[in-house]
Amino acid sequence: MTISDKGVLRPTRRDLLAGGAALAGAGLLPSVGRAQTAAGGTVKVGLLVPLSGIYSRFGQLMRMGAELGIQHVNERGGVPSLGGAKLELKLFDAGDSTEKAKNAAQRMVADNPDLVACSGAYLSSFTLSATEVTERAELPMLTLSYSDLITTRGFRYVFQTSAKAGDQANESLPILLNLAQQATGKRPETVAILTDNTASSLSFVQPVRDNAAKFGLRIVMDETFTPPLSDATQLIQKVRSARPEVMIMPITVISDVKLLIEKMNEFGLGRGRVPTIGNGIAMAQSDLLQNIRPAQMEGFITVVGNWDAKGQEAIIEEFKRASGEPWMGQNSIATYGDIWIMRDALEKAGRADRRAVAEALRTIDITEGAALYYPGRRVKFDASGVRETAGPVVVQWQNNRPVTVYPSDSATAEIFWLKR
Amino acid sequence: MFRALSRARMILPVVAFCVAYAVLAMFVTNSYHQLTLTLVAVWAIFGLSWNLLSGMTGLISFGHAAFFGLGAYTVALLFVKLGLTPWAGIPVAAVLGGLAGLLIGLPTFRLRGHYFALAMLAYPLALLNVFLWLGHQEVSLPLIRERGWAYMQFTDQRVYILLAIGLLLATMIAMRVVERSRYGLALTAIKQNEAAAEAVGIDTRRLKLITITASGAVAGMIGGFHAVILLVVTPEAVFGMLISAQALTVAMFGGVGTVWGPVIGAVVLIPLGETLHAQFGAVLPGIQGVVFGVAIVAVILLAPEGVYWKVADLLRNRRGTRAATPAAAVTASAGTVALGEHAPARTPVGPGAPAILQAEGVSRAFGGVKAVQEVSFSVRQGEILGIIGPNGAGKTTLFNLLNGFVRPDAGRVLLDGRDVTGLPPNRLCRLGVGRTFQVVRPFARMSVADNVMSGAQAADSIDEARALARAAMERVGLGGLIDERAGTLSNLDLRLMELARALAGGPRLLLLDETFAGLGGPEVEKLLGVIRGIAAEGVTVVIIEHTLHAMVRLVDRFVVLDHGAVLAEGLPEEVTANPAVIEAYLGSKWSARAGD
Repeated sequence: MTISDKGVLRPTRRDLLAGGAALAGAGLLPSVGRAQTAAGGTVKVGLLVPLSGIYSRFGQLMRMGAELGIQHVNERGGVPSLGGAKLELKLFDAGDSTEKAKNAAQRMVADNPDLVACSGAYLSSFTLSATEVTERAELPMLTLSYSDLITTRGFRYVFQTSAKAGDQANESLPILLNLAQQATGKRPETVAILTDNTASSLSFVQPVRDNAAKFGLRIVMDETFTPPLSDATQLIQKVRSARPEVMIMPITVISDVKLLIEKMNEFGLGRGRVPTIGNGIAMAQSDLLQNIRPAQMEGFITVVGNWDAKGQEAIIEEFKRASGEPWMGQNSIATYGDIWIMRDALEKAGRADRRAVAEALRTIDITEGAALYYPGRRVKFDASGVRETAGPVVVQWQNNRPVTVYPSDSATAEIFWLKR
Repeated sequence: MFRALSRARMILPVVAFCVAYAVLAMFVTNSYHQLTLTLVAVWAIFGLSWNLLSGMTGLISFGHAAFFGLGAYTVALLFVKLGLTPWAGIPVAAVLGGLAGLLIGLPTFRLRGHYFALAMLAYPLALLNVFLWLGHQEVSLPLIRERGWAYMQFTDQRVYILLAIGLLLATMIAMRVVERSRYGLALTAIKQNEAAAEAVGIDTRRLKLITITASGAVAGMIGGFHAVILLVVTPEAVFGMLISAQALTVAMFGGVGTVWGPVIGAVVLIPLGETLHAQFGAVLPGIQGVVFGVAIVAVILLAPEGVYWKVADLLRNRRGTRAATPAAAVTASAGTVALGEHAPARTPVGPGAPAILQAEGVSRAFGGVKAVQEVSFSVRQGEILGIIGPNGAGKTTLFNLLNGFVRPDAGRVLLDGRDVTGLPPNRLCRLGVGRTFQVVRPFARMSVADNVMSGAQAADSIDEARALARAAMERVGLGGLIDERAGTLSNLDLRLMELARALAGGPRLLLLDETFAGLGGPEVEKLLGVIRGIAAEGVTVVIIEHTLHAMVRLVDRFVVLDHGAVLAEGLPEEVTANPAVIEAYLGSKWSARAGD
């Protein structure tokens, strides 16, 4: 038997069996197991993220968010409809490849039949392969991954909380162009595309390529590279000679961010002189502080699925204290929120059963509680599992830190657009 | 190979292993362990595919992921785009994998050794980017809820294990048959020494192309099956460096060049890797890689050739200490000694004998170095001709020109009056020209008999090959050492084995390259007897040496080379008295003294 740090007794299954055997003779064998779990015991939820390999940093951020979420849920009464049952987090390492992610998912469902929901797996390709397993095991999985494919496969047990990458571009670009017009009095007319060839980056730039005319934009440069870069000079030289009024630059590898941004500053294109819009968290990752002078990041914009938002100050402060991180960011916030969604779904289901939890997720519609941690501030999934009000969050580097500038109900600062 | 195995003994262990594996797997209920059991078979088959090319021919491929990935993408894209079930997609993947093997082999076999290995590395890396560029970052196999079996989708994971074992069984049996066939024999000969293989009549280029095609087909097939297991195919997951490395790792861990090697490797490493990942992945992230790496390093240090060979050696040594009796050793060496004594007498060939081989003004330059220039001479049927000359005189180049390894810049080579200039060595071999090499590169693990048998490429059947090998070993006096492993032989016995291998091809003309190198006095005597014996049986012998003392007593006639040109030609006594020859060997001071 183990005693958790908050003094809650958490009998392991072996303890229960041993105890049960001892009690059997006295005819006192109670119906342990699921019934007991539901009555004030613990309910297991999973987190399947990369904890080793090159993506481990992103997984660690999600783990920190999840652990804080578990702590808060349990401190605030657990799941009332299950007699105040506490949540217990089980961690699974998705490793550094789709195959490892899938194997880890298989391990998760095979070894933990009592798991009721899980969250993961950061990279879209990991999420895609992991959900192949969770779908078959009928285990609901919440994900912040952006890929369009995740919820277009007809799956019933995957729930996507972020806006899809394609939608992120389609939705955020007109808003940003409007902001530019307001700030400078002139709507940008030329755009440069500089992207790496990862799946999420390509699905972000695809709508720009397809709909440039619709946005009133002319593409003056379009370059795709395979990460990691060894030198960014040539690429940035092309940017300088193309002189775009706005640049779309979704980058997924931090070393590439460093090379490109430093080179842009060296060429005098940084600090918003070529307004640059990225996608994903690499461009707002706290690791950048160790790799680049943060002043060089000033003005850069990135579109993400979730970020530190207005109204979350207390939690963010607590997170920063506990983790030592300078800000919370998409991965920690969204995973923190996922734990709350799981709690709310359990509360609604009234049973510690994965199918009941999935059914609750399909019908959940809340604007309180867990909803606070997602842009759009509402948790309601459509038939395919997409969160209905999920929209892009626009983050801009201001005063050496990335702050949310859109949507307005989440924004903690105003966007700035440099006049040329 | 020389010792024939019955079909049952060849296949039964494989069948027994697969059946046992399948039966055990049926009792596994945990779906994660079921997945691991499936993956063991997948990586074993992939390792076997690698072993077919790299283990058996020695051409190390760092790029087997190219075939694997093509197979995976074939199945995934056919399924997604055309709705073709993997049941049909996997055979297509095998065909495409084989085709890719052929296409890759055509240009890449121009390279050898490390260059080949590195060039192979490029293919999956290139394909990875091609598939990224094509926009196939993530191809997800659709989930079929009704009639999933028609699309190779089963709710009971054990079906996948059975399918994988079925494929494994088929692959293992196929490999086992290859291992014991003449085809396998020829592959072994290539691994041993590609030049020598070519010299014993193996069309190495054709054989290598067939092998890479077969290997690519197996890799494509299992790549296709893996796509069904993986369900989401990404370029990194099927073309990545780790995939190519996986094939090498399981094969090298288990043992290269044997059917059991990759299987042992996969059975140990895949569950180990998964278990480590499961146990430590979430607790001490990354530690699994360290433990895995340390385990592999330890095995490489303790069993450099893989677990299979280490165990085979241990078993052999144990059996060896029990079985080895002094009597066996005596008969073995007796067999070698006997030969020199009962060498049949031969009468030297007169000047009137017809020429079997003629060189007419043969020249060859390497850049500015004129290695051989305007060399003309003829070899008479039945004679022993010695080609001598100081180091660097161009003797070996001349041999390579006669033998087809190097094409002359000018001049002609005639065999029986027929122009054979520029024919590849394997064709010349079939016309009756055998050759040995200066540096003996035996396949140390194989028996003497198997080494010799690799030369019997002219045979029509494996039985005839056995007979030829046996006869050749008798001729050189290695009859007592048939089952010895080549790695344990003395230098003399290695030379004899090399000679026997050339003889197993049934040559009429034998080219011997520095056969006496590194031998002591008594050993030279034995070898002299053997060569005389071969000549007495009617085989024409041309022998290169730079030392004169043994040659004087062996050859009928000398051709002396210096600086790539013929310096002198004639009977031994004429040549040794020729001041020009002495000057070439010892310098002008000695030639002046000889003139006194």
